[in-house]
Amino acid sequence: MIRAKRKTGLVFFPAFDWAISPTHPEREERLLYTQDQVMEEGLLDVPGIREYRVRPAKYSDLQRVHFCVPDEPSMATESHLISAGGCLVAADAVMKKEVESAFALVRPPGHHAMKVVHGNRGFCNINIEAVMVEYIRDVYGVKKIAIVDTDCHHGDGTQDVYWHDPNVLFISMHQDGRTLYPGSGFAEENGGANARGTTINIPLPPRTGEKGFLYALEELVMPLLEKFEPELVINSAGQDNHFDDPITHMNFSAKGYAELNARLKPDLAVLEGGYSVEKALPYVNVGIIMAMAGMDTSTVKEPGYDKHYAPQAPDITDYITNLMGTLKDQFLINPPAPHPAKNGEIITTSKRIFYDTDMINENQDERLVRCRDCAGALAIDSHSSKGNKMMGVHIPKDACPMCQKMAEKWVNEALDNKKFHHIFLQDRTKCTYEVLR
Amino acid sequence: MILGLDVGGTQTDAVVLEDGHVRAHTKTVNRPELLETLGQSLDKTLAGIEPDKIQRMVFSTTMATNAVVMDNMDPAGMIVSAGPGMNPEWFSVGPSYHVVEGCMDHRGTEVMALDKSQVKEAIREMEKAGVNACGIVCKFSVRNPHQELQLEEWLGDQFGYKALGHRFSGSLNFPRRIATAYLNAALHKLHTKFISSLETTLTERGLNAPRYLMKPDGGTIRLDKSCEFPAQTAQSGPAASVMGALALDGCKGVTLVLDIGGTTTDMALVLDGLPLWVPNGIRIGEHRTSIRSLLTRSVGFGGDSEVKVDDGKKLSIGPIRRGEAMAFGGPMPTPTDAMITLGLMEEGDKDLARKAMEDIGAQLSLDAEKAAKIILEETTKGMTKAVIDFVKRINSRPVYTIHEVIEGIKIDPDRIVVLGAPAPIVAPMLEKAFNIPCVVPPHYQVANAVGAAAAKVTAEISLQADTQRGSMVIPEVGLESAIARDFTMAAAMEQAKEALFSRGLAVGADPGDQEFAVIEKEEFNMIRGGYRVGKNIRLKLALVPGLIPDCNCGGQQL
Repeated sequence: MIRAKRKTGLVFFPAFDWAISPTHPEREERLLYTQDQVMEEGLLDVPGIREYRVRPAKYSDLQRVHFCVPDEPSMATESHLISAGGCLVAADAVMKKEVESAFALVRPPGHHAMKVVHGNRGFCNINIEAVMVEYIRDVYGVKKIAIVDTDCHHGDGTQDVYWHDPNVLFISMHQDGRTLYPGSGFAEENGGANARGTTINIPLPPRTGEKGFLYALEELVMPLLEKFEPELVINSAGQDNHFDDPITHMNFSAKGYAELNARLKPDLAVLEGGYSVEKALPYVNVGIIMAMAGMDTSTVKEPGYDKHYAPQAPDITDYITNLMGTLKDQFLINPPAPHPAKNGEIITTSKRIFYDTDMINENQDERLVRCRDCAGALAIDSHSSKGNKMMGVHIPKDACPMCQKMAEKWVNEALDNKKFHHIFLQDRTKCTYEVLR
Repeated sequence: MILGLDVGGTQTDAVVLEDGHVRAHTKTVNRPELLETLGQSLDKTLAGIEPDKIQRMVFSTTMATNAVVMDNMDPAGMIVSAGPGMNPEWFSVGPSYHVVEGCMDHRGTEVMALDKSQVKEAIREMEKAGVNACGIVCKFSVRNPHQELQLEEWLGDQFGYKALGHRFSGSLNFPRRIATAYLNAALHKLHTKFISSLETTLTERGLNAPRYLMKPDGGTIRLDKSCEFPAQTAQSGPAASVMGALALDGCKGVTLVLDIGGTTTDMALVLDGLPLWVPNGIRIGEHRTSIRSLLTRSVGFGGDSEVKVDDGKKLSIGPIRRGEAMAFGGPMPTPTDAMITLGLMEEGDKDLARKAMEDIGAQLSLDAEKAAKIILEETTKGMTKAVIDFVKRINSRPVYTIHEVIEGIKIDPDRIVVLGAPAPIVAPMLEKAFNIPCVVPPHYQVANAVGAAAAKVTAEISLQADTQRGSMVIPEVGLESAIARDFTMAAAMEQAKEALFSRGLAVGADPGDQEFAVIEKEEFNMIRGGYRVGKNIRLKLALVPGLIPDCNCGGQQL
């Protein structure tokens, strides 16, 4: 009799009635064959694997994370709410100890959605992992959380949301940004002034194979997790590193994904990208579910594996060995030094963000309080090419009195400034979100 | 006139319906031999009725279930091909289970052909093991049955009966397909023998009308045809009760059906006359199958449940039944004894019942009446909790589209139909607990037999069309045909309807009855490289459970 060694929850939401456009990679058909394979394998009958029904997230769940401009209803459709809600269901199942781990196999994905949302970037509107993390913090009081993003694309949205948060360790393994959307995710991007070293980027070369991914995991990711000591580990389980994926150039396999998951042992996994809908996703997902459940995955193999999978080339192995040496030095041996600014100093930065799906340009001017006691108050002055001008003020969860005061000052300044169409105050200490204009 | 007969766990109920009225009904205590029980019940029920007046007979028996649960089945071999995924050895069943190489993918494309020499070896092994029936199951055979058909051909005439996985259900679930094919193979000989003895028993009594067996999905199948699908006649009892509730009451609105028996209480839900189904299939003994079944749930609370006091203070009721109530000569106090003590029931020995209650009362420092009251309260509480849990589980079933999440109606029963001998006593207590009407229909004692008599033939087919592959498959009827690239949903619907009606006719459906339901209807554009390369169409149609025209009167006449 088969049985899951670890009790595993599964939230499956293929959204068979939603697509970005009829021929878009993010379309109705995407999880069709995954569903076929999961059902045919009889995975949901395995004792110890439990399927949960999705529920839609509320707008207030999104407000813990995002500044949606102009508002939540225009940025999040029903499908986004259900996809995010699926993650909340998975979180509840784990936090209430009904299962040891859970996998939210949902779409649409979310890891390119940043803190401020003017539209769709990289198929994402709402950052479903971040919505889940903030929910877990508010409802279950968990403080230290690690997110390991194994999607082929840099998880720039999640990085942006947690850039200033020293209590969330964000690690992204992805295809080098010089060769793939969104073009970011370099080792130098290592966290904001108050959160140095809690953002880690591992840009892997195209053609990285099973060996390279597992090497990076063992050499860097696992030691970093050990050092950070998170209460929860979340896997952004994008599946587009697969050798058959049509929009990336990596060389990973179902076996590899299963092995990676078995070693990482995440408490929660959330599906992100993955667009080889027929030849990869069905097998990768079956592999991940079985690995999470502690089952033997040695019989999971995509039909094209023997013909189309080539082991990692020696030059790639050499490159990755060198890269890991450098990154280990940067993050484990000589971790980044704290930001030199004095306590209470205001640090300003500017950035431009491009929304590829919706063709929107956004300009952001950010002010952050350099703070040794908390994650620091944050003010984002954002305007988009759609014409929306917004001021969003964020008070972090454990904000010190100085930062709370500064946030109050920024809000008052914004209220005096007629240029802003929208002013939002996200106060994570009180778990409130105020629309002030 | 129609005869309906339901063999239960301890007794057999039978009715004769005439012009929609119950003309006769009987209860017979079961004998060790099923055929003997059937014979006695027939004689008792049909006393004074001319056999040629009977125009239709439906039986709900425990033959298949008991054979599975007691593992009295014939040795059946299995040949399985799997491809990647879960290890097929995990689903090993029966005395001679063989995995051969071969692989079909989710679209029904053959990835790896079968190896004839491996199959020959498996055949030799099965011969050595002395099996005379064989199950043949390949992964994704419902998408392309080619490999199962190939294996059937290679097996030749060596085995008496070959159970091909794709013929039993069009649903995806490889382990369940294995279990279903195995049970059908292992039950085939036994079932065929039973059917032939039953035919003899009936013919001997001059009963020559069309004969049917009840299935767990609330439908019926022609007696002779059931030999092709023997496992589909297992666990039909709870379904017979639900169909009885439908015939006797009509079950409008959201109706919860509660059938209180001696050992268990069975629950089911009927939405405006349509009973709910289980999503994947019924579990028979240890085997999870893909056999369609009504969604019913048994809890260990019945009239004869054992009542005892644990640790000198905690009253416990069920789930064990030691025998009849003490008032009927049984060994242990039961809720039935409590009812008799409180004067709610006329039958049984009052003194023995009272003694039972005194015994329980003594342990709880209560008098007999008080103890009896508490026992009934606790029984009601237990049932109430079970009902709430049942409804909650149904409402937390996963759904896969935005439409379903948004529109997802929450099921909340607005009435309860109570069946079984204690129904009139229990109904008022449940009415109080739930604050919704609790109805006890006429003939509530033999509702299961009425249900069997009144149930229509059911059938189901699944269609999958893949215009890029240029193929359409309807596994249940063994149809696989080429289609053009411009094949549409409308054309698929026509093909599916035709297949459903022919399948229905084959298993005994009334040719005039073409009422069907669309269980699943989905259409996906298949996009490769930014272009539409085809359509993937999925349809599931069914002749859903219902009542034959004579009995379809919402309980007005019965």
